[in-house]
Amino acid sequence: MDPLILLYAVVNGLLLGGIYGGIALGLSLIFGVLRVINFAHGSFLMVAMYASWGLWAAFGWHPYASVVVTVPFLYLLGYFTQSVVIAPLIRRESTLVVEPLGALLLTTGLYLVLDNLVLMGFGPDVRSANVEFASGSLLVAGLPVNIPRLIGCAAGVLVAAALWWALRHTDSGRAIRATAQNREAAALSGVDIQRVYNHTFGIGAAILGLFGALLTPFLSLTPTVGQMFGVKSFLVVVLGGIGSIPGSILGGLLLGVFESVASQYVTATSAAIFSFGLFIAVLLFRPNGLLGRKI
Amino acid sequence: MSTSRRSITAVLGLPLLAIALVLPFFVQEAYLLHSLTMILYFAYMASAWNFVCGYVGQLSLGHAVFAGLAGYATVLLYTQLGWSPWFGMLAGGLLAAILAVILGYPNFKLRGPYFTLTTIAFAEIVRIWLENTDEFMGIPLKGAQGLVVPPSDLGWQVFQFEGKVPYYYIALAMLVIMLLATVVLERSRLGYYLKAVRGDPNGAAALGVNGTRCSLTALAISAFMTGLGGAFYAQFFRYINPERNLGMEFSIDTALMAIVGGQGTVLGPVLGALLLHPIAEITRAWFGGRFPGLHLVIYGAILMVAVLYFPKGVIAPLQQWLTRRGLRKPDPAPAIDVQEVRP
Repeated sequence: MDPLILLYAVVNGLLLGGIYGGIALGLSLIFGVLRVINFAHGSFLMVAMYASWGLWAAFGWHPYASVVVTVPFLYLLGYFTQSVVIAPLIRRESTLVVEPLGALLLTTGLYLVLDNLVLMGFGPDVRSANVEFASGSLLVAGLPVNIPRLIGCAAGVLVAAALWWALRHTDSGRAIRATAQNREAAALSGVDIQRVYNHTFGIGAAILGLFGALLTPFLSLTPTVGQMFGVKSFLVVVLGGIGSIPGSILGGLLLGVFESVASQYVTATSAAIFSFGLFIAVLLFRPNGLLGRKI
Repeated sequence: MSTSRRSITAVLGLPLLAIALVLPFFVQEAYLLHSLTMILYFAYMASAWNFVCGYVGQLSLGHAVFAGLAGYATVLLYTQLGWSPWFGMLAGGLLAAILAVILGYPNFKLRGPYFTLTTIAFAEIVRIWLENTDEFMGIPLKGAQGLVVPPSDLGWQVFQFEGKVPYYYIALAMLVIMLLATVVLERSRLGYYLKAVRGDPNGAAALGVNGTRCSLTALAISAFMTGLGGAFYAQFFRYINPERNLGMEFSIDTALMAIVGGQGTVLGPVLGALLLHPIAEITRAWFGGRFPGLHLVIYGAILMVAVLYFPKGVIAPLQQWLTRRGLRKPDPAPAIDVQEVRP
């Protein structure tokens, strides 16, 4: 293998990996605090992408400008998902026998509803937003670097750093961490658990609002576009350790490079098989992930 | 014994069976018979899923792999080696059971969402591989295109019949066998062990119940039965492909029916299929291809409502209603109130 091609694959993998890591942040955060696996994670991203695409198609907004709409929109979507759909289950579970699969089933139902509503509304056609601004590639040391991917990767690292900082140094961040560590003790200390849960779910979804807008310039949209990212997000958080913020980025980078380099040697579909194989291997042999559980 | 005669399975199941037995005499239209057969098929598949997942309390969304594998085996044994599909069916079922034990052994160490995600990953690996493999060791798999069962002289030997009625009764017979197996499971030592594992895995282990072995036994039987169903599907449609027979949609559909109906009960999955599958048929008949995902939107909404308001499935309120009407004996009171023991 030509070392230059390999280097190119690694760089491309790192760029894609940063995006994977950023997308997985919300899944990791929500699980870390609520112990809920959000099966509709990919669907949220898909909804954000369609919102961003819709603003471009209807008003000619650049997808990057649409973040002013998609981020608050997704925050509200996450907030209401938690407060309307999941909260009744958590209230029931806190008094009765815990059924951890209940939340998984609820979000599976939500995934079916969201994906198929979009399928009904927009049909199965492939759509894409053609924009000039910030497209194309830069040449860095002779290697072409795709600009939208570079922006996505940078956003992943920045959002992770901001989230990490906010969880440690802001009041609501401390409330979130306290709730994650011990729900009852946090409640006794005056933390409004339900509000923290709603807020956490909102933040987790809002991050997807940002990435939906960042993906739209270079990725075609179909109603099932979220599924692939949803599955990869599970893989990323399992790799990096579920509930860990730096682990999410590390897991994303690992997956990105793994995929990108593997697809140099085998076909892209076989690379997808290897990704699933990696997922199973990590779950079976290192279920706490490479960085363990921490928030 | 009067308990067995008045259990919900008998009170509800026997009239349903009687209706199912005579229905083809009144329904002649091929489309309706096809839909009814599909309801029986889904009731069977949901019951097969329920056999392990409903009793062990683990959520598998990868059962499609068993159905698809056995379906492919049946079709290939027939087209390549000339085996009768009946033998192919059994061979495919056994293959599925062997695969289930191999996959289940490491997998049952995981619990909750981890277990579920791993079942999805296994099934997706097989589906993606099949979709992109035209030939494997000289066996023509034809990738995403799928396999066609070549038409031949009709008859029992080749599992091909004129009209839908024979398929209907085969599906009904399979469903009855599946339900009888579930009734036997409920009263067997294995069934009690599984319930113990479901309630408290550590407690069960402390009392000497080998949870993994019990779960694996149930999974092997469930996979075998699911395999038979997959083979039936291939013969019924005379066609099999990775997307329809191995895709996640199938796995979700069957799991959903069992959960909405009432997992861990004999008749719950049947009720789920009776409730949900007609929605798919009706939306398809009314709206045609205009709203391709409509029935899944409704499925998803029903699943959410069921998880929140009928966590034990729609069979639970039905059970209470029958008890109130005096048609069924009330459940024996538990020896200890579970809630009181919990801190």
